[in-house]
Amino acid sequence: METILSIKQLSKRYGRIQAVKDLSVEISRGQIFGILGPNGSGKSTTLSITLDMVRSDMGSYSWFGENNSKECRKRIGSVIETPNFYPYLSPVRNLEIVADVKDLDHSDIDRVLELTGLYERRNTKFKTFSFGMRQRLAIASALLGNPEVLIFDEPTNGLDPQGIAQIRELILLVAAQGTTIIIASHLLDEVQKICSHVAVLSKGVKLFDGKVSEVLAISDSFEIAAADMGSLSAVIATHPEFASFKPKEDYILVYFNGDVKPGELNQFLYQQGVVLTHLSERKRSLEQHFLELLNENA
Amino acid sequence: MIKLLKIEFRKILTYKVFWILIGLYFIFLSAGILMAEFMINNMVDNMNRHLPIPLPHVTIYFFPWVWQNLAFFATIRYILIFPAIIIIILITNEFTFKTIRQNVINGMSKSEFLISKLLLILLISLIMSVLLAIGTFIIGLSHTQVTGWGMVFERIPFILGFFISIFSFQVFAFFFGFMLRNTGLAIALFSLYTFIVEPVVYYFLKSPLVFKNGISPYLPVNSVLRVTEYPAIPVLKTLMGLNLQDSVSLWISCIPLLYCSVMIGMVFLIMNKRDL
Repeated sequence: METILSIKQLSKRYGRIQAVKDLSVEISRGQIFGILGPNGSGKSTTLSITLDMVRSDMGSYSWFGENNSKECRKRIGSVIETPNFYPYLSPVRNLEIVADVKDLDHSDIDRVLELTGLYERRNTKFKTFSFGMRQRLAIASALLGNPEVLIFDEPTNGLDPQGIAQIRELILLVAAQGTTIIIASHLLDEVQKICSHVAVLSKGVKLFDGKVSEVLAISDSFEIAAADMGSLSAVIATHPEFASFKPKEDYILVYFNGDVKPGELNQFLYQQGVVLTHLSERKRSLEQHFLELLNENA
Repeated sequence: MIKLLKIEFRKILTYKVFWILIGLYFIFLSAGILMAEFMINNMVDNMNRHLPIPLPHVTIYFFPWVWQNLAFFATIRYILIFPAIIIIILITNEFTFKTIRQNVINGMSKSEFLISKLLLILLISLIMSVLLAIGTFIIGLSHTQVTGWGMVFERIPFILGFFISIFSFQVFAFFFGFMLRNTGLAIALFSLYTFIVEPVVYYFLKSPLVFKNGISPYLPVNSVLRVTEYPAIPVLKTLMGLNLQDSVSLWISCIPLLYCSVMIGMVFLIMNKRDL
């Protein structure tokens, strides 16, 4: 797979705050790559560095395996934080400036305005736009000229549910055409719904990365209890899918690697000579899982 | 280069504030130039009340002196401040609207961004110089009985002096804009420096007690004004033997340009180091 963005050992410090620490990430063509982390985990800083807005203290990055970051940026469409446009200019005039900077001709402007539902308002000044429309213009500007890579930093922040749904649809639509997409988000749900790959950041450090289905795989846990808790904990550890357990007050919390059904578990323990007095399956929400990931590495 | 200028044009073409300020600039500039003779003669009349032999009225709009006179009145600080404020607004706007970030994200390098602003300054200076030259030529023609073209164009180098002054002053504004990034603050400090701080420092340094040879003419704003330091009033010359300034001096013109290169260098250095 062709590497689109390669980040090597990136570090950035703002005064006493270590925003990004020794971060390495590889993003390949065609991936929908989520950068997931709570607020202040270094997502935006990382993107700002790769877009040449912020200088890193250490480390390097390269787009498309090339060194000329200015020319590479012309092949990338970005929606970073707030939409930044000239308020006294209309969407068309604003996009003309974007097209000129990116060395594109102006023929694509109408298409992206139609795609984002702004065509009717194409000649109204930007300053009269609502927040949702501003965000849509930012997306239109990113889509201009069908770039190879799209970057979204918190793309649905501050939008109403309808707007969120529209933007997610739009992202998936573009992704279906083979565009590589990078999304920074603090919403696990968003990453889960859209992304194929994910890197989880916390306090500027990468905790995990890989396929969403693997990193964010949910292994359910069980509460189990027996008359003889000692032999229960010994026996449960011999289960082929056993991952770990946590002794609680009157039960043991067991995690498994694979998919284990309550019936199977009961049967397995019974065959090993343990009779359960309590068995309860625990479904973890994604959020819970995500928070656990963060806590384990805090 | 052309591409960068084209982008700058798109930014100002429908920007009302820009055109209002340009309009005001033209009004003040024309008024300053056209009222200059009247004001001088007003002063002469006032002086004549205390003089035993009255001074004659002066005329300033005839060839070849008109080039120097109009260049002088077009570069007094009250008029020169207009293009400078326009430049400050255009630069600090990019920070207020965060469009400088967007320009960089979209594939402009920081240096290209700075160059685009410098090109705009250069172009405004060139256009203003050409307009002033045309205006001066017309005013001169209507006030002079032309006997030979050599005489007409004798003092045309003062247009070049005007160009150096207006260009340098805008580069100072460019410096303030990029250093301060905030429209109000940059305009306030730039005006404060031009109208109060430097004049005070000027008179302080001028005092023979402080510096024997006087370094005050080398202060930035003063160096700009000194390119065309005096109007040409032939009457004064014939009457009192006063010969104030005959030509644009190469050395004196170099001083503001020297300041420009230092300021441009600093802006490039700092902007390339700073985060956006």
